[in-house]
Amino acid sequence: MTTPPSQRRYWLTLRAPIARRRAIALGIACWILFFLVWQAAVSAGLVTELLMPSPVKVIATLINLLSTGDFWIDIGASVLRILVSFLMASVIAVPLGIAMGSFRALEAFFNPFMAAWRYLPAPSFIPVLLMWFGTGEGPKIALLFIGVVFFLVALVMDYTKQVRTEFVETSMTLGGTRGQILWTVIVPAVLPNVVVSMRQMLAVSWTYLVIAEIVASTNGIGAMMMRARRFLHTDEIMAGIVVIGVLGLICDMLFRIAHRLLFPYIDESAR
Amino acid sequence: MTETRLSLQNIGKTFPLNDGSMVEAIRDVSFEVGANEVCVLLGPSGCGKSTILRMVAGLDQPTSGSIALDGRAITGPGRDRGMVFQAYTSFDWLTVRQNVEYGMRLRRIPAAERRERAAHFIELVHLTKFADVYPKMLSGGMKQRVAIARTLANDPEILLMDEPFGALDAETRWHMQELAIAIAEETGKTILMVTHDIEESIFMADRIIFLSRHPGTVAANIVPAFKQGRRWGKKEDVLELDGYAELERDIMRLMRQQAGAEAA
Repeated sequence: MTTPPSQRRYWLTLRAPIARRRAIALGIACWILFFLVWQAAVSAGLVTELLMPSPVKVIATLINLLSTGDFWIDIGASVLRILVSFLMASVIAVPLGIAMGSFRALEAFFNPFMAAWRYLPAPSFIPVLLMWFGTGEGPKIALLFIGVVFFLVALVMDYTKQVRTEFVETSMTLGGTRGQILWTVIVPAVLPNVVVSMRQMLAVSWTYLVIAEIVASTNGIGAMMMRARRFLHTDEIMAGIVVIGVLGLICDMLFRIAHRLLFPYIDESAR
Repeated sequence: MTETRLSLQNIGKTFPLNDGSMVEAIRDVSFEVGANEVCVLLGPSGCGKSTILRMVAGLDQPTSGSIALDGRAITGPGRDRGMVFQAYTSFDWLTVRQNVEYGMRLRRIPAAERRERAAHFIELVHLTKFADVYPKMLSGGMKQRVAIARTLANDPEILLMDEPFGALDAETRWHMQELAIAIAEETGKTILMVTHDIEESIFMADRIIFLSRHPGTVAANIVPAFKQGRRWGKKEDVLELDGYAELERDIMRLMRQQAGAEAA
């Protein structure tokens, strides 16, 4: 018995699937390449070490920072701001978005107002927020809230409108009242996408956090980076960036895991 | 015909178009469906048969005429007229059992009774083994069986089905047709169903309402006499009855006339 000649495989074959392990290795390889180029540039003296410390230096600084209590206080302050503001924005935006997506009259009433606010860049409110709330937690929470709430409403509303009409009509012909349909069809149908919207908006939340802390704050990761700038501690600034990136990644992962645990019934192959 | 359950009288429906003009979709449609009858609305696409079914369900309103179930005028959707749609409507966040219990949960029927009734109807559509899985695990035919069981478990006066097997492959389709006939026999439900499949209509129907199009009107009200006043459980048994071929041919001619009218 002869085996058929194996088809010729290229390293890059159009649309051919690759092994999971190879995919992970490739992803890591890109990072390693990035750090190698960076380290090489510093070692070769192509950049000033003062403005561009080597990756090794940044990692060492990061470990050093993490071993001090002060940095953890900064991280804690930032995370708390995110949590409080995001919770406030979600408590308002999710129910409102579902209501607007369910009832055309509510959409007609709120949407022109909400849409206008979406076009106003949230940071443009910083001066007035500082005047209103002073320099405490108020203006930071307010900025994060403004930056998230109007977009989250829009996302949730759109997803609510996408709930299939047949689902709603099925419930109607089974005797569902308006309130029952809202709670037993629309809410459970849109919930997975509410979590998706929240995940997307949490990433935006981190952006505004850093802006808030850089502009006016004495603690938080952004404030730490501004302090470091004053003393030309570029390595600390970069360590701060790394921490923000890692925290963002952790948030994203937590949302992904929550989504998988909360909604085991979703057919991933249908997406 | 036995006692009348559903009656449509002089139903008309006009839609406004975007340019402000009106289009007449349905004109002066009248027919009746008797108790325990399987009535099929058949016609070429665009004849308004689904619209008629939706008006019976209360999901659309007729522009003129009246619809009554057991003498009561229909004013909106209600659980006395349960509907099975062509698109899959199993709620994907509920298991098969929870889907079938859904209507009873809306009515706050006690859990024990709910469970018992659900089990009965899940058995009826042969899904007992799948009672605790989510719809994502089910094939298209199984999803439609969930929808049928869910509607029946809610005990409607009349079962409405809008091309329920239209999205299924040919083999699954005739299995489902036979299952639907078995269910009609077992439950004695009055059924009003929409299809554009001539074979399906002849196999399933005690009465066929054939609709012409633009606007939709009743072109023929056919009782397939060759079925000798009974239902046949197997499709091939119907196919070999004397009179089947003639009826299929006659209906096909009606269909072609409608297409011809459109072309002319």
